[in-house]
Amino acid sequence: MKKIIIHDMIGENCITIDDGQQAYDAIYPELIAGKPVEVDFDRVKIFASPFFNSAIGRLLKDIEPEALNRLLVINNLHSDGMMVLKRVIENSKQYYSDETSRKTLEEILLEQSEDQ
Amino acid sequence: MIVLQVPTINDGPHDFDRLFDLWNQVNGDRLTVVFDFSSCKFLQHNGVAFLGGLARLIEYRHGRVFFKWETLLKKIYTNLGQNGFLAAFGFPKTAWRGNSVPYREDQFQDKNAIINYLKTRWIGHKWAQAHISEKLQDAMIGKVWEIYANAFEHGLSPIGVTSCGQYYPDHQELKLTVVDFGIGIPANVRLHFDYDPRARVLTAAKCLRWAFQRGNTTDTKDISRGVGLDLLKDFVKINKGRLDLFSHEGCARIDEKIDMVANQTNFFEGTLVNITLKCDESFYHFSDETFEGPLF
Repeated sequence: MKKIIIHDMIGENCITIDDGQQAYDAIYPELIAGKPVEVDFDRVKIFASPFFNSAIGRLLKDIEPEALNRLLVINNLHSDGMMVLKRVIENSKQYYSDETSRKTLEEILLEQSEDQ
Repeated sequence: MIVLQVPTINDGPHDFDRLFDLWNQVNGDRLTVVFDFSSCKFLQHNGVAFLGGLARLIEYRHGRVFFKWETLLKKIYTNLGQNGFLAAFGFPKTAWRGNSVPYREDQFQDKNAIINYLKTRWIGHKWAQAHISEKLQDAMIGKVWEIYANAFEHGLSPIGVTSCGQYYPDHQELKLTVVDFGIGIPANVRLHFDYDPRARVLTAAKCLRWAFQRGNTTDTKDISRGVGLDLLKDFVKINKGRLDLFSHEGCARIDEKIDMVANQTNFFEGTLVNITLKCDESFYHFSDETFEGPLF
């Protein structure tokens, strides 16, 4: 199984879209070929959503959740990073599964009440 | 020549209104503006971040800026010296360490420089380090990065982003203000829906409410976005901190009990975020999480 050590690739701060793109470029070709990948977050300290959106969330565009559960192994991700990742996955699943899930202007206009 | 009378600035709602009033007085090209501090009895970090950005905006618009340093009260002069504001605007004074978090200008999203600032100068104060674990410090920095990411990716600010902060040891609080002088969140939301003429009349508050909802983003690249503000909001609530956001006539306040957006009278064309976080480890329960069950 291919092992990707994120600290070696990006460093201890995984926070930008560009950081995520680097990880995505290493992960995606393996997964799309049906090969398993281990992504190791050991020694990575700071996470933010742009990184996970770009590195992991985007995988859901082309790969089914069942396949990702089978092929992608996430290791050594600390609890704050896991919390961000879970939120990103939840959002990405909705985003890529249903284009209309994003709130429409109609709905915003119908929301008459604004907080005071 | 316009003489801007800088008022006393704390970080209550009316104080932000006073800052936006200053912006409205100098919203033009090729102005000569003098900042006069005769009426200013106190100037918090939010005022420092805003005034610095405002001065840079005037310069960007081919104007000229002068500061009447001699009108500063001694305690404000000392604070502006300590946080580097004086040095940033040509006054020969080198910044030094204290309870002020330095004034900072970022023209572009320099990840390493900003994270270094947050690590060593914002949360890196020895007092803060004594109160919170490294894990919590990293979590706080990650959430605050979401503010910078939004400012750089959506703000389109011609002068980048200005920041300033302050420690409040008595209240165990860390504060930080991040300001961009770009097009503002409401303009981005209206542009996002520009296929429908009704978008033009969306109020600023409605636009902010939309922006704070999970999954909503004006980014049109094919990457799911829109969880940054949501994560930040949740973190502030757990932390028992406070988040104030102002953009155009819209304002939002988030704390443990409040989650509100509203329209106000004063307009400011950029976005200002003021965050207050408690340095109290007891609000968090970090675990060495071993993930069980399907992730996707």
